[in-house]
Amino acid sequence: MKADGIGAAAHRLGGIGRVTGHQQYLADIRLADMLHVKLVKLDCARARIVSVDKSAAEQVPGVRLIMTADDLPQPVPRFGPQFQDRPILADGETKYHGEPVAAVAADTKEAAEEAARLVVVEHEVLEGGVFSVADALDPGAPLVQDPSIRADDQWARTNILREHRFGWGDVDAQEADLVIENLYEFPMVTHFAIEPHGFMAAPDGEGIAVWSTIQHPYLLQKTIGKLLKLPLSKVRVFAPDPGGGFGGKQNPKLEPLVAYIALHTGRPARLVLTLEETFQAVRRASAEVTVRTGLNSDGTLVFEDFECNFLIGAYVDIADRVVTKGSYLAAGPYRVPAVRIVARGILSHTTPSTAFRGFGIPQVTWARESNLDEGARALGIDRLEIRLHNLAEKGEEFVPGDTPADGHWVQSVQRAAELIGWDQPLAPGRGRGIALGLKSGPTTGLSYSTVRLLADGSVLVFSGTSDMGQGARTVFAQIASQELGVPLDRISVVMGDSSVVPYDQQTSASRSSVLMGTAVFNACLDIRNKLTALIAARFEVPESDISIEGGVVRIPDVEMTITEALQAGLGPLGGELVGNGEMRKDKDPSHPLGGSAAFFEFNTTAIELEVDPGTGEITILRHITVGDVGTALNPLQVAGQDEGAAIMGLGHTLMEHYIFDEDGRIRNLGAIDYRIPTSMDLPLQMRSDSIENADGPGPYGVKGISEGALLAVSPAVGSAVTEATGLIIRDLPLTPQRVWEAMTERA
Amino acid sequence: MKTFEYARPSTVAEAVALLEQHGPDAELLAGGTDLVIEMRNAWKVPKVVIDLKRIDELRPAIRENGQWISISSTTVMTDIAEDARIQKYFPALVESAVVVGSVQIRARATLAGNICNGSPAADTAPPLLIYRAVVAIAGPAGRHKIPIDDFIVGPGKVALGRGELVTGIELPIPRQPIGAAYTRLTRRRGTDLASITLCCSVEEGGVARIAYGSVGPRAVLVEDSSGVLADPGAPDERKSEILDEVFADASPSLRSMRASPDYRRAMLRVLGARALQTAIDRFGDAS
Repeated sequence: MKADGIGAAAHRLGGIGRVTGHQQYLADIRLADMLHVKLVKLDCARARIVSVDKSAAEQVPGVRLIMTADDLPQPVPRFGPQFQDRPILADGETKYHGEPVAAVAADTKEAAEEAARLVVVEHEVLEGGVFSVADALDPGAPLVQDPSIRADDQWARTNILREHRFGWGDVDAQEADLVIENLYEFPMVTHFAIEPHGFMAAPDGEGIAVWSTIQHPYLLQKTIGKLLKLPLSKVRVFAPDPGGGFGGKQNPKLEPLVAYIALHTGRPARLVLTLEETFQAVRRASAEVTVRTGLNSDGTLVFEDFECNFLIGAYVDIADRVVTKGSYLAAGPYRVPAVRIVARGILSHTTPSTAFRGFGIPQVTWARESNLDEGARALGIDRLEIRLHNLAEKGEEFVPGDTPADGHWVQSVQRAAELIGWDQPLAPGRGRGIALGLKSGPTTGLSYSTVRLLADGSVLVFSGTSDMGQGARTVFAQIASQELGVPLDRISVVMGDSSVVPYDQQTSASRSSVLMGTAVFNACLDIRNKLTALIAARFEVPESDISIEGGVVRIPDVEMTITEALQAGLGPLGGELVGNGEMRKDKDPSHPLGGSAAFFEFNTTAIELEVDPGTGEITILRHITVGDVGTALNPLQVAGQDEGAAIMGLGHTLMEHYIFDEDGRIRNLGAIDYRIPTSMDLPLQMRSDSIENADGPGPYGVKGISEGALLAVSPAVGSAVTEATGLIIRDLPLTPQRVWEAMTERA
Repeated sequence: MKTFEYARPSTVAEAVALLEQHGPDAELLAGGTDLVIEMRNAWKVPKVVIDLKRIDELRPAIRENGQWISISSTTVMTDIAEDARIQKYFPALVESAVVVGSVQIRARATLAGNICNGSPAADTAPPLLIYRAVVAIAGPAGRHKIPIDDFIVGPGKVALGRGELVTGIELPIPRQPIGAAYTRLTRRRGTDLASITLCCSVEEGGVARIAYGSVGPRAVLVEDSSGVLADPGAPDERKSEILDEVFADASPSLRSMRASPDYRRAMLRVLGARALQTAIDRFGDAS
């Protein structure tokens, strides 16, 4: 079955359509009589809304509705995955640059755009906006969030959303030969999915239909149902395959607004954001991480002491979860006797931060791995050696009470070191770096799948996962192919319609191959059991005499294909076999994260680079990334995910960051002054490799893989820059100007 | 984008008449790679867009008459970069044309548009200054030509009167050996707007010329006839003094997101020295 089943480098299901423009993205869907929506925003961050004058805008032909907060139920409904804090439209005050104040719905996009420009919002810019950690913690700072949103919370009257404390052992009691303490800064960056976020809604009988580029369609269904007081059965969510998500499309954002517009006008309505608007809609939390690393002179880690301040936005979205999940594993894959972690999510008058590939881990990894390198240099110990010396072994409970190390991680480290040629002489002017990243996979999960074996032996797989380019369709089809012996071209995977496809918790945390993969596997098993029962009845043989393997059904003296067996079993009326599968990982209330890690994503990144001594420009000569994947269900897709994640990591490492003015406006909105790596900015050589020991919890021993290659890019690059130049830079991104400034300061 | 009228004249005279009639309400469209963005962002809201692409007189794109190479105003960057004559006589222009935008942009963007857009960061401005380009203009009063140095005025501004348009850019074929090189400073290697554009030439008699942009309202041209810059053996301190003078006119923006003034000033020196060395090497090969 290597051609189509597990381990095959099968081509992407839907891949041709995706690259030839045939895939129907949300913005390609046209409904009859559809209204086009344009947002009205202010060119400032924090302002009090005095009044909205719609009169000029209403004169534009084709304008059907100009919705403001006053047109919504009062008080203005709020929603969010963690706190019910995000209003449908700005409620009396805008809290970040680009927060929608009103929305115009018109017959044409042009009319909506023109009218949106003509809506006059009288407003008063409020001084004292909170745009940094220091701003937020100033005792005189205004409160970003209304205290009533978390009235009973001890932090309600501060800009600290929550403070979390994790750890083990007694840091203060430890005696170390060397203590290194530094502050590391990580920039605010945005997901930059090629497909912009889009939302549609239409009245649908007694309920509503909503279309979204969302990663979590079932969360959207719940959110809309709750806001509109509709049963889930009356909220139909369509989630066409997104064109990239990276976490930015996980949670509902503007779907509720578009739903209210559709219900208000009785017509379908669509809003597709511009790239500039996506910058104002989603970003990664920036972070200031102070780390104290205690080491013995032989390089043994004695303690790690972290203070992680994540600058989240004006509304929480999923940011508190990013803070906890990002900081809980701050000490990484090492054996550390004492760890103390204080982590805060700090509210600010900026774009709400949300999930983003790596989910808080890259920020903390930048600090931990860079600081470990400083320790190694101070002690005169090789940077690879110090990592191997402290690395947890398989089965070791390196975080007390959590899942023990679930892989032979040393193999990944050694493989990366070998591929970069760590022990080879280094050419003058060059530097190498090696860094380790570790992220918890999902801590809870619930996925259902239905698989239908149709009368002609072809297969339908139903899965509520969103395939945003990671290749979930392909992997699920490969599982069905493996289990039912059906070639890939006879399998279709149905996704993206909540009325047809059973529930899935979410598409996040590199979970789907493990969790939904298990549900698909179990659904196939269900079919095999039903087929066995059918055959037993039809041929009058005991079930124990029947075997189904590689698409062939064997009973004593007879061998037939699964299709022949199915048709024989079903009889003249035909029909089909329906299998159901489920995968559940329940909450563990005693665990600080609400559950132990289903698996760990472990990655080693190794870099070789050179730095232009005149301009400060970095050229990455070689980029090696090695993940501990359990089993590569599809090696081609594993490499694709690794390469994409690695390049994304180079973005925040080398060039990406939001630039604000004094009043909290994002100055570099859009592609011209927010730079992401292009094909010309890639490492001269990039190599992804996988360690496969089939030791993951998913089918065939798979672990999740989609984030690992991003986690440790920054510290590997930073370490190599230090080796090449002698400079230590603790603030990302490492732009040519920043590197040049460091060179100039030293001179 | 706001709706607009679209005109597609078939002669230069027709285009001039339309331009004269509509004045500031009209915008010219050649490649559209700047105009379409400006219209999308409502920075420009023309009532009429005049498309020059179907004017027969503006073809063929590139002509040579033994003394001059003429590049019509609808000639795109890709065609310039691939033209054997331009590669032979004006390699630094090719070096600048191949870094404008991306592959797709270069297949649409024109040389004349790059100059008429009036961006201080226009990649092709420094080499055109170095190669002594002349701009051919048609207008209600007839046709005339002006040196590129007089044509470029400031941000968004070029020396075109009401009803006037550029029909082409002409480059004198150098009679003496010349070595020239173009370089730029960007934040990444792929598509980017330059924080510095810089072109150097070394010519007979020890003359070195340096044109640079993106560090002030317009690209500027400075000539050094002392022989020092063109002399590979000249002492570094002498070179340094002269480069101080060469770059004295740089006034980089204090508010720019792309690079700090200090970084730009320092990089003028770094890139200037590198481009000069390339120009000296090429001059050696040419003579």
